[in-house]
Amino acid sequence: MQIYVCIKHVPDSAANISIIGKNSIDENVNFLLNPYDEHALTEAARIKNNLPGTEVIAVCLGKADAEKTLRSALAMGADRGILIAKEKNYDSRVTALALKAAIEHDGKPGLIFTGKESIDEGGMQTMFRIGALFDFPVATNVVKLDIEADRAVVVCELSGGITHTYEMSLPCVMGTGRGLNTPRYPTFPDVVKSKKKPVQKIAFTDLNIKASLAGMRVIELKPLYQARQPKEIKGDATVVAKELIRILKQEAKVL
Amino acid sequence: MTQQKYDAIIIGAGIIGNSIAYELALKGCKTLSIDKLGGSGFGSTAGSCAIIRLYYSSPEGVALAREGYYYWLDWPRYLKLIDPAGMAYYKNTGAMVYKSEHNKNLVPVMESLDALGVGYLELTPEDMKRYLPNPDLHSFHPQKRMDDPDFGQPTGDSVNGAVYVPESGYVSDPKLSTHNVEMAARKLGSDFMFKTQVVDILKKDGRAAGVALKDGTEIFAPVVVNVAGPHSYLINRMAGLEDTMNIKTRALRVEVAHVPSPEGVDWENTGVITSDSDTGVYTRPEVGNHVLIGSEEPACDPLDYVDPDNYNENFTDQLKTQAMRVAMRIPDLPIPTKEQGLVDLYDVSDDWYPIYDKSDLPGFYMAIGTSGNQYKNAPPVGSFMSELILYCEGGNDHDKTPMQYRMKYINHTLNIGFFSRNREINKDSSFSVIG
Repeated sequence: MQIYVCIKHVPDSAANISIIGKNSIDENVNFLLNPYDEHALTEAARIKNNLPGTEVIAVCLGKADAEKTLRSALAMGADRGILIAKEKNYDSRVTALALKAAIEHDGKPGLIFTGKESIDEGGMQTMFRIGALFDFPVATNVVKLDIEADRAVVVCELSGGITHTYEMSLPCVMGTGRGLNTPRYPTFPDVVKSKKKPVQKIAFTDLNIKASLAGMRVIELKPLYQARQPKEIKGDATVVAKELIRILKQEAKVL
Repeated sequence: MTQQKYDAIIIGAGIIGNSIAYELALKGCKTLSIDKLGGSGFGSTAGSCAIIRLYYSSPEGVALAREGYYYWLDWPRYLKLIDPAGMAYYKNTGAMVYKSEHNKNLVPVMESLDALGVGYLELTPEDMKRYLPNPDLHSFHPQKRMDDPDFGQPTGDSVNGAVYVPESGYVSDPKLSTHNVEMAARKLGSDFMFKTQVVDILKKDGRAAGVALKDGTEIFAPVVVNVAGPHSYLINRMAGLEDTMNIKTRALRVEVAHVPSPEGVDWENTGVITSDSDTGVYTRPEVGNHVLIGSEEPACDPLDYVDPDNYNENFTDQLKTQAMRVAMRIPDLPIPTKEQGLVDLYDVSDDWYPIYDKSDLPGFYMAIGTSGNQYKNAPPVGSFMSELILYCEGGNDHDKTPMQYRMKYINHTLNIGFFSRNREINKDSSFSVIG
């Protein structure tokens, strides 16, 4: 089986990111693998371990320096990579068309993974668009996955922690969530091996994606300034502890 | 005539500035510490790995580090106080230092340790395996950048062995330790002003006379001490002293990586400090079972001298390069895709040894150029800087007759002239954070 993992090269959320003009960011910061995609790669590597003969291919639509992120994916277990080299940023409609064209050109997908969202744009559309283009079923925020002979049994987490279990025909598309696994970080030998793994580069323009009037673009980005609003709980230890439990249960809803 | 309220103004409330304030207060001086940031140790002290280790390239460096070690062991008694915010504490881990051509196979360090009666073990490469989880002890020297195709390729069968010094470790929380000293100094009557920026050094009759603040306030004192860390050269510039010294200081931007321990290894509790001159990195165990990784400035890495008020606070490839250099040695070390660590500044001198000295302006003193390797020495530096100030203010000429400092814990006299602003560049230096 061939497993395609669609990955994205995103700015590090720990970086100081500044907005240029009104609608783009200063890309002169550290970029890395979208964290949700780490779960996709870890899961693909796990399936490969259980199903001999499986090949894991990481696919990325990105600018030239996205090769670094593709190498990270190879260090996490992908066998080879495909970089669709772009000069500018595209919306999720064009992204899905490009990923579909590259995958279709490359092989026969048995499974396609994406992260459930990207941490930079958070559009949460790409997996559905790829599924629609291929006519494959799609599940998102997947937190458990079992591949059986010709089907996948998946558990998806909905808001509030509710889960749904689905049976899906193969091939299918999965948007992976945080609960799926703990990413296995590469070690030095993994990184060395990743440098020797093949990365095929395709120019976005060679995919002949037809122009369309449909599309969306960012008009304005606004930074979010979060002010901390500390509140002191007064009283003796018993009172403070009781109030803290009440807040954790009723306001934060974490207990 | 303005009444002088303070005997000394100390610019900078990092670990060394506060130690000088405390030691001056112990000697009966009324001090004022001024810092641009919001509290003690908020600047480069907070980013320190706070490693307490004994290997330096000079006997003076080794002796001073040994003296400092005893202060950390004796911390609450030295400060005569329990800080309500908590007390920083010393955690012993032991330190393993790799022998290499670069550090003359540690022969000078072992001579200094012998002279001070400090115990250590000389380890063969085979012995070193006891201290590291599943290591690769090939030699990788000379160091390379990550984009070099030979990065990570062994260049020799084995490292040269190591010296293990059990009496080494780190201080749990460098920022808290600086707060501890502030509290001890306050108890003796010292004052502190935070979020306050010095914009000029006042002079009168050919002497330092105080400082001018950004809001226009002038504060007078016969003694002004520059302990401004990475901003030290700017304070010297205000005093008109920048071009009067043989040794200069600059702000150097550095990165420290923070990675998890290998799976199944309790590095937090069993790990040692390592200084690997073969791969050019040092490490320290960290809470949360992590490893802190700093650079020993190998020749292939560019040195990033910056404006201390305007520099890139984001991680660069340097962080990953350092992590990968440790990962060559510990092949099981996980390298997370999302990097963690910190970006901070060193106040680097031309030979990576500090300047602890008077200046050409009477009344103006300097404890600067600490080059990322003086945190551990702060308490004895506070002690001898306070003595140096009294020595010079008492009419002695430190340039002609350098003050000799009698250490408190070890039977050793340190020639403070060693740290002179006008010394020749110390060619025995490692020219790195090692000192």
